[in-house]
Amino acid sequence: MTDVTMTVNGQMRSASVPPETTLLQLLRDQFHLTGAKLGCDVGDCGACTVIVDGQAVNSCLMLAGQADGREIVTIEGLASRDRLHAIQQCFENSGALQCGFCGPGVLMSAKALLDDNLNPTRQEIRDALSGNLCRCTGYTKMIEAVEDAARMLRDGTPAKLTQARTEVPVP
Amino acid sequence: MNEHSRILEREKIEIETLRDAELRLPAVAPREPFPIEPVTPDARQQTRAVGQRATRPDGRLHGLGQTKYIDDLSFPGMLYARIKRAGIASARIKRIDTSAAEAMPGVMAVLTGKEIPVNSFGPSFQDQPVLVDEFVFHAGDGVAAVAAVTEQIANEALDKIIIEYEPLPAVLDPVAAMRDDSPKVHAPNSNIYATKVIRKGDVEKGFAESDHIFEGRYSTQMIEHVSLEPHAAVADWDANGRLTIYATIGRITLARSDMARTLKMPMSRIRIVGTIVGGNFGGKNEITQEPALALLSKKTGRPVKGVFTRGEEFTSTTTRHPIIMDYKTGVSKTGRIIARQIRLVLDGGAYCSWSETTLGKACILSPGPYKIDNVLAEAFVVYTNKTMTGAMRGFGAPQVCFAYESQMDEIAAKLGMDPLEIRLLNAFDEGSPSPTGQVLHSVVVKESLRKAADRFGWEPRP
Repeated sequence: MTDVTMTVNGQMRSASVPPETTLLQLLRDQFHLTGAKLGCDVGDCGACTVIVDGQAVNSCLMLAGQADGREIVTIEGLASRDRLHAIQQCFENSGALQCGFCGPGVLMSAKALLDDNLNPTRQEIRDALSGNLCRCTGYTKMIEAVEDAARMLRDGTPAKLTQARTEVPVP
Repeated sequence: MNEHSRILEREKIEIETLRDAELRLPAVAPREPFPIEPVTPDARQQTRAVGQRATRPDGRLHGLGQTKYIDDLSFPGMLYARIKRAGIASARIKRIDTSAAEAMPGVMAVLTGKEIPVNSFGPSFQDQPVLVDEFVFHAGDGVAAVAAVTEQIANEALDKIIIEYEPLPAVLDPVAAMRDDSPKVHAPNSNIYATKVIRKGDVEKGFAESDHIFEGRYSTQMIEHVSLEPHAAVADWDANGRLTIYATIGRITLARSDMARTLKMPMSRIRIVGTIVGGNFGGKNEITQEPALALLSKKTGRPVKGVFTRGEEFTSTTTRHPIIMDYKTGVSKTGRIIARQIRLVLDGGAYCSWSETTLGKACILSPGPYKIDNVLAEAFVVYTNKTMTGAMRGFGAPQVCFAYESQMDEIAAKLGMDPLEIRLLNAFDEGSPSPTGQVLHSVVVKESLRKAADRFGWEPRP
């Protein structure tokens, strides 16, 4: 068994797991953080993306032991007690998540990008999300949502779509 | 509307405050349920939805990562199931030895096909076994299932199950499978298990009147849905003999009757909970491993969870039909289609699943959205020793669209016509009859083509 201790969403967590346990299994089965999903188990789909020391990582490809002593942020750590993160707010406003299974991974990839760069170009957003597959094929809205979130975090303007939500007369 | 305005107002204020708020990580326990405000989009409050912005009612939970998919559920004492796959396209099972697997510490139960009360299911024909017992029909067939205390142990137990096969000749080409002398997938039945013919006018006479005849064969490949969430289910057979299944099934009532049939128990004792599905696209319309999980739960008295690997998604769940499409079209000098003869051979794989539905829709749509007086369309769906094919977005419509539109381009090129022009010349009008005689209304195909051509600057290429 391997003993691991790490910071998960700001809290110190430790566990004793078999050495072959992946970070994803540790988060899901030991820490009950089921936000990160198992999609392919080989690092293709990005549904398991979490942030490790500021980097977006496929947690199915990282052993729990490798994450020992590091700082992990999962989708559960994105919102505060009573407030959505700007990325979550913008994804909701844009309707960017359909079945939602890829969502936690996409949001974490977006967060890793925006933590680094609050002025991403469209291409940089595409590159940041390139490791996340969505089979409902809603990439356009996701990219728009990340742009909105960047704008919101940058200069505090409300999300574009909230502004556009005006009364439409019913004929 | 007042309530709604208040929500909008509050959201606006929230965003205003967010401007100054420091976005830091919460120092609270992550399992704290997030307060969920009801989000009522405009479109759901008014009768007219067009022009309204709608957000998904479940969008917030998705974004928070709090939506519970099947794999996110766990129950006290829950076991993990894995299924041993045949890995051979066609064979007779001579012997299954599960004793070594059963003796492993941590393995709670092993199940084989012989233990399933009625080992067949399917939406139109009940030709699919839950776990094969005598013959293997395709390489992705399940042969045995294991329930163990961890997934790791269940995986190791699969390797200890010994199965002896007597390989049998396999048929993999759907056209070859139609011949009388080809091996029968479900002997003694013919490999052709459903057909459909549409006849309108007289194609022979039409071809005689045509100035040009075009013939071509088009084919499409097998496509897997690859919904991001794999097929997953949890079965709980309780001490009162009642069964609860949590599953990624889109059609829970059909699943309930299939379960009742395979398990030979009254439907009233089966409860199926359809949860949020992480992508279906037609691939989660029927039961797969659920009866096996139920019986493993019955054997062990504990809830049993089964989640397919990505590999199993490709080998052991339904896919889109590959179709071999032969088109013969007679046209006049001016590009008017006079007659079209079509033969579709759908590769059905090892089991019927939703093939009958796909066959019908592919056949009806195969002449395309064109006014053709003489049509003969024949469609066959055949068994082969491959992964079964079933429902997938469009039920055969995308395949035939590829064929008839490819041929339209070939005809246009040969006649030196603009590809848009030849479509406008032949396309349906308001009130045109379809190949099956249905009078069509709200037909806007020509307007759509013109508008699209206008928008992206279509000009006939020299």
